[in-house]
Amino acid sequence: MRVASRYPRLHVPHLHRAVIRFDQVSKHYPSGQEALSQVSFEVAPGEMVFVTGHSGAGKSTLLKLLAAIEKPSRGRVSLDGQNLARVGPHAVPLLRRKLGMVFQDHRLLMDRSVFANVELPLVIAGMAADERARRVRAALEKVGLLATEGKSPEALSTGEQQRVGIARAIVGKPTVLLADEPTGNLDPHLATEVMGLFAAFQQVGTTILVASHDLALIKRMKKRVVVLDHGRMVDDVPAVEVA
Amino acid sequence: MTTGERKSTTMRSRPRRLATWREQHAWCLAASMQRLAARPLGTALTVLVMGFALALPLAFWLVLGNLEHLAGTVGRTQAINVFMQTQARPEAVAALAGELRQRDDVAAVSIRTPAQGLSELASMQGFAKAVAALDYNPLPYVLVVEPRQHAPAAAVQALIAALRVLPGVDQVQDDGTWRQRLDALVDAGQRVAVVLALLLALAALLVVGNSVRQDIRGCAGEIAVLKLVGASHAFVRRPYLYAGLWYGLASGVVASVLVAIVEMALAGPLGRLAASYGGQLALGGLTWWQLLMAPLLAAFLGWLGARLVSARWLRRMA
Repeated sequence: MRVASRYPRLHVPHLHRAVIRFDQVSKHYPSGQEALSQVSFEVAPGEMVFVTGHSGAGKSTLLKLLAAIEKPSRGRVSLDGQNLARVGPHAVPLLRRKLGMVFQDHRLLMDRSVFANVELPLVIAGMAADERARRVRAALEKVGLLATEGKSPEALSTGEQQRVGIARAIVGKPTVLLADEPTGNLDPHLATEVMGLFAAFQQVGTTILVASHDLALIKRMKKRVVVLDHGRMVDDVPAVEVA
Repeated sequence: MTTGERKSTTMRSRPRRLATWREQHAWCLAASMQRLAARPLGTALTVLVMGFALALPLAFWLVLGNLEHLAGTVGRTQAINVFMQTQARPEAVAALAGELRQRDDVAAVSIRTPAQGLSELASMQGFAKAVAALDYNPLPYVLVVEPRQHAPAAAVQALIAALRVLPGVDQVQDDGTWRQRLDALVDAGQRVAVVLALLLALAALLVVGNSVRQDIRGCAGEIAVLKLVGASHAFVRRPYLYAGLWYGLASGVVASVLVAIVEMALAGPLGRLAASYGGQLALGGLTWWQLLMAPLLAAFLGWLGARLVSARWLRRMA
């Protein structure tokens, strides 16, 4: 994989309206740690991009900025044309409803059923019960877990739990899907299966950003790759050049 | 967009917002009940502690209500006795009674004849033989004058002074001092009841607040997930507000039941006490309205405690 950047860092000419845009973004924590430094890139609608790098490279911080969990110290992060620095605390929940988020540790509610877990974003959106049920079953069917809807997530395997997390992320039909090390706890076979799901969501127009350090998997997927190293973007490899 | 179109959009969005609000509340309501049911022992302990705390002012309220009633009744039984001179004619006594009934500071006047007085005396233990030995009735007419209800002490004293100088009056007997003391006791009791109710309401707030705080701390993971999938602060807080409401409502019911049990336990002795006052004292319990209001008030206290605590803790967890 190449190391040199293919894109200039400043003022990228925009031929399309980017869904995600990082423009000279830096993030410093009060401890003095520099998690991200002058990161600039864009993601087009319906594109699937991997963000990779070693542990502590800034992958998770990048996703946290997009989910408005953190705010950039410098630069501008835009989602669907909206500058996230200007999103007030009351607007953050509305922003997050546009996103689907998948986590390495699934973040499922173990005292609720699979159905109830997947239903959660729709309840928050205030959707009617019958429409919720229809959408939840459709999402569970997509991830192949329709038969488990009444079970507790604890009764499922790690791979199945991750698929429940994915169903929860896609049930609200988000325009953007963020995944933080979604295959971190999965064996290679399950990891490929999960990535296959993401690729299928990309086919229907969902923009996907996946943080992962699994280079073998990334190579197999043949998608665009953004490489981070100690908070700096050191490469941006188009899908056609990933080998 | 024309005005008509805008109006039409508003008309469509209003039922939608209402439906959203209803769906979210229904979910939060069910979530709060599931959370309480998930730890029955903790929930029961909170409800019982709060129930006992609320039962105390409620019981005190009951006692005070009866004491107030007792004071009123005793006030009537301790009416002013106006002893007429023995030679007073029945017509003159009746005329005087009529005059007194016209006064604004007098509630009622009754006449006790010498014959009635002698009969009452004869019915008392040890007096029967002495009464039988009398060859004439030495007792005078007595006017029993009841001052106006809740008349101030100064007004009652003024009435007594006026009664003493009436023609044909021999003597005026009044137990006003005792009645004043009873009134003062009831007043003090009312103050104590208010202070006690405020203190125990504060205790109930703290009990609910502590329980909700523990609930929130125990659900930190769930709260984080809810926020990540787009839940607003109000949505996250709502199940805890409902939990506070349930804690309060259930403890209010417990308090009402406890007071009803106390009432039933005291019904016998109080009935005998009432009988000793010749059936004039009607000692009663809390009304249905009061028993209904107690859980509603407790529910409000529970909601308030939950609101205060959840606002603080959820802000801290943000």
